[in-house]
Amino acid sequence: MTLFDDKDERFKNLFGKTAVFVLLAALGMGLAFVLVGVKKGAFTAKSPIYFVADSGQDLSEGMPVKFSGFKIGKLDTLALDEQGRVQVEVDIESKYLRLIRQDAVMSLKKEGVIGDGILEISRGTEGKPALAAGGRVRFERASGLEQAVIEVKNRIMPILDDIHQTLHDPDGDVRQTLKNLRELSIEMRGTRERLDRVLGSLDTNLNNQVGPLLLSLRKSAANAETVTGKLDYELPVLLKKADSSMESLRAATETINHAVQRSAPQLPGMIDETRDTLGKTRKLIGDTQQAVDSLSTHWPLKSDTPPPDPGPVRMDSHD
Amino acid sequence: MYKLILLIFAGLLAACSSAPVVRQPLAIEQAGAADKDARKALRDGELLRAQHDFATALALQQSLDDTAGSATTMINLATVAHQLNDDRAALAWLDRILLEKEAIYPQQARLTAAFRKAVILADQARLGDADKALRFADKLCDRKCALNFGIDALRARLLLLNGDAQGALALAQAVGKQDGAGKAEQANALRIVAAAEDKLQRPTEALQHYQAALEMDKALALSERIGEDLNGLARASAQLGRDQEAAEYSRRAVLVNESRRQSDPVP
Repeated sequence: MTLFDDKDERFKNLFGKTAVFVLLAALGMGLAFVLVGVKKGAFTAKSPIYFVADSGQDLSEGMPVKFSGFKIGKLDTLALDEQGRVQVEVDIESKYLRLIRQDAVMSLKKEGVIGDGILEISRGTEGKPALAAGGRVRFERASGLEQAVIEVKNRIMPILDDIHQTLHDPDGDVRQTLKNLRELSIEMRGTRERLDRVLGSLDTNLNNQVGPLLLSLRKSAANAETVTGKLDYELPVLLKKADSSMESLRAATETINHAVQRSAPQLPGMIDETRDTLGKTRKLIGDTQQAVDSLSTHWPLKSDTPPPDPGPVRMDSHD
Repeated sequence: MYKLILLIFAGLLAACSSAPVVRQPLAIEQAGAADKDARKALRDGELLRAQHDFATALALQQSLDDTAGSATTMINLATVAHQLNDDRAALAWLDRILLEKEAIYPQQARLTAAFRKAVILADQARLGDADKALRFADKLCDRKCALNFGIDALRARLLLLNGDAQGALALAQAVGKQDGAGKAEQANALRIVAAAEDKLQRPTEALQHYQAALEMDKALALSERIGEDLNGLARASAQLGRDQEAAEYSRRAVLVNESRRQSDPVP
């Protein structure tokens, strides 16, 4: 070693330099381990909780435990107990324990439809005490895709069987309906042939009768035009005559007015005569009434008339 | 058509086959016609014409010695005179029946005359004479006649006028409960009950009974009594301190009485 020291200055204190280098490397590696450990939660305080599963299927050590979508722990151990049940221990980060109630449920689910299995713990009922370290929770398996398919199959198969039976029953509604449709289509064919014949006949009739009718209508329109022309010519004459009639009416009204004015002095006398006539009429009606009354007392009408009231007229204790 | 002619022939044959009713003598027919005319005039409110026609009928009946008819017509004449506010003439007509020494008029006519005389005397506040006439009527009736309820109602009224409100109340209540009394007499009885309660300082009950009497009088369309009922209601309401109601009843009574005077038939 002294040999190098002697020849090259860079090799001076070589041991010290090497020791510093190794120490820095070891320190960096240690720091990296610590950071990874912190990241992985190796230094986070955890609390064990337990549940019992009916089988260990789909359960595995290291399986994540999630709460509201966040990983808060993992499955630690799986063990079969004396009754053949699976005792499961999961480690939950202690700081999340206060969020979980005693009646929380641990569910085995799939992430997505065909994803890995995870354990998801529910929050539990508000108001219940928080779950303590070492506590037990209930376990259930969420229905997965396979189970859903089985349920659907169980429901659909009987329906398919019914449909199959309905379609193949010779006396069933479907077969009968098809038979009726077949017969109907045969009848429809006959109906169509008859309809074709009727339409052909209608076409012939239209050609033979509607044409003359249209011709007649055209003639009537021409006549109407002629009448309108006549009216155009005669209407002014008629209006002139109406004016003349109105003038005559006005003259007649004036004549009546004059006549009334001339006879005005005679009106009181006429009114008196009218009043007298009315009085006589009234008397005549009275006499007629009397005659009717008198007649009603004689045979053969007498039997139908009520007898006269024999008693005194009404008067009570307060009159 | 053929069947119709056959039917007419059959009808005529049946008419000819039955004996025609023998025609009454002319005087009897005339008396009947006059009586009928008088009743019609009375219904129409033509009191003077009714009086004239009843007088005509009476003359004819008396000339034919129809004492029963004469008595009825004299009672009718008395009633018309009372409606004409000529109570002196009314009492004179009734006395012609009641003071007849010989028993030529039927008992029913004498009973009716006595009762109506009592009513008219009560209206004149001649309570002693009214009571006397009423007792005579009651004696003739012997509680068996149709006027029995009217007699009791009038007796209750006389008791009230004599100041015996308790007695009037008991008697009128008994009449008011009788179904055979007729609506008019029941209303009269209710009015007496209410008036007696009014005197006995029982305005609540009086109000109730005046209301009931008002409903009955309205149904009978007796304008004068409706006015009386409304005045009674006004008095009872005033006693109860319900001045607003009392004023309303009084106003209604005034309107009813004024309208009645305006619509009264011209005699």
